[in-house]
Amino acid sequence: MKIIMTSLSFVLFLSAVAFVDPPPSLEYPAYFPKPVYHFEYNPLSQEKVTLGRALFYDPILSRDSTISCASCHSPYNAFAHTDHDLSHGINDAIGTRNAPALFNLAWQKSLMWDGAINHLDMQALAPITHPDEMGETLKNVVSKLQQKSIYPPLFFKAFGDSIVTGEHLLKALSQFQLTLISGNAKYDQVKKGTDNFSAQEKSGYLLFQENCNACHREPLFTTSGFAANGLPVDTTLHDYGKGMITHKLEDSLTFKIPSLRNLSYTYPYMHDGRFRKIRQVLDHYTTLTPGALKGPDSSEITIVLTSNEKADLIAFLLTLNDKEFLFNPLHQYPKNILHPEGF
Amino acid sequence: MKRSSFSFLLSILLWGLSLPAFSQELAISFLPTFNGSPLTNNDEEILYQEGTFQIETLKFYVSQVELWDDDQLVFKEDNRYHLLNAAIPQTLNFQLNLPHQISFTKIRFQVGIDSLTNVSGAFGGDLDPTNGMYWTWQSGYINFKLEGRAENCPARHQRFQYHIGGYQYPYNTIQSVTLEVSDHRSIQIKVALEQLFESIDVEKNYQIMSPGENAVLFSQLFKHLFSTTP
Repeated sequence: MKIIMTSLSFVLFLSAVAFVDPPPSLEYPAYFPKPVYHFEYNPLSQEKVTLGRALFYDPILSRDSTISCASCHSPYNAFAHTDHDLSHGINDAIGTRNAPALFNLAWQKSLMWDGAINHLDMQALAPITHPDEMGETLKNVVSKLQQKSIYPPLFFKAFGDSIVTGEHLLKALSQFQLTLISGNAKYDQVKKGTDNFSAQEKSGYLLFQENCNACHREPLFTTSGFAANGLPVDTTLHDYGKGMITHKLEDSLTFKIPSLRNLSYTYPYMHDGRFRKIRQVLDHYTTLTPGALKGPDSSEITIVLTSNEKADLIAFLLTLNDKEFLFNPLHQYPKNILHPEGF
Repeated sequence: MKRSSFSFLLSILLWGLSLPAFSQELAISFLPTFNGSPLTNNDEEILYQEGTFQIETLKFYVSQVELWDDDQLVFKEDNRYHLLNAAIPQTLNFQLNLPHQISFTKIRFQVGIDSLTNVSGAFGGDLDPTNGMYWTWQSGYINFKLEGRAENCPARHQRFQYHIGGYQYPYNTIQSVTLEVSDHRSIQIKVALEQLFESIDVEKNYQIMSPGENAVLFSQLFKHLFSTTP
């Protein structure tokens, strides 16, 4: 019996060594929490990341091949859509929400401003099929990819199968997005002991901890939960956020708490992009009627800041800009993959 | 090392030899019907027609198939999800590989996909989102899809569309079905769709396409749909 067990475990060990891709390590600061993404179901591999990167930048995902993921999630805007309050789609369609920045997605418990998507793998389905975004069907994307010569070999390298499937397409897109980690802003360098805050930044940091950290919690600068931001409903959009998904009164007008990292690159702000400047956001939060602003546990939050304090707070928020993330060559348009023979 | 690999090979060999001798295949087939007539795919668009009443689509998931000997669980199919599509006859049949000795009196299965699978990302095969049984604007599988036309349906083109899903409390729509069985080689399960229209008034309730109370009420009718034919 013991011998059988020993030999069996040896075989299991061998198969584990032989069949699991060596994962490229996901590098993030030691003070980040453990990722919530379950990598055991979709182990990272360089080949999958490469495929996902090609897919992310390829407009073939849209019905008329005009819009790619990167159209609204540009690397130079921390994968947000600077200057556009609402998302854009095929045929000049305009959506109802601001395209959020994409980074540190391995720590997101749910996706979208209303949390409608429960897993990063399933997120891409929404923009691919939405008539005001890519207006395509997943089935059609799969068959278009099967026909485009670069893809069957890329799928084979990534998944050992040149037949394109919805599962593999979605998992590859996740893989690339999981590598979008922003953790080297000035804030991070101060945390790592390689830089120091100025006096003004330090004062802003204390104000941040006192007033903002309940929702925009360090070090990711979001709890990845939901909260009522106190904004009145835009009467042209009628967006009630998470409440429209859960049908629960307490979720009405609550929206996903966005990370404050890379703020300078991701304006305009809020779920409908109604503020263009950080200052406007702070003015909004400091002039609310009591009870309008609620934290993730529905507790009322009141924020009082003087004009100088706002300036200090903004000085701190600017230390969350991660330039290295913005210009990381591994995140950019993969010219050599999408155009192997040049232009 | 030598001894262990020898015994390993021996055990593999014995295991391999034992398979054909001790296993048994149990064929499960589903037969969708309306008022006793089977749905057919002779016409690509229409599976069933009676006057102006039509059924165009019937797709649903069957998962966690179990066999029970009275109150004792004797077989459980692990991690298999069957997408049954009335337009593709071969999807209506599948087999269970049973250890030979099993005797059983009941079959139990779930209509739909469990909540853990619903929150665990992308899967392939019958669970692949290209099958049209996954919502795109809100995560979750469509457990049961029935579409067609009825003269008294007030919707556009008289079309009724029931996309029944939802995995989160209090709007869970996965439903357990238990049926008595007698034959040990094959089980035929009738799906009597007219049962749904006993409780659903297509004039008032003709479109369910999101999780919620209506979907839950609809899913509670599943247990009346299925029966084993004698």
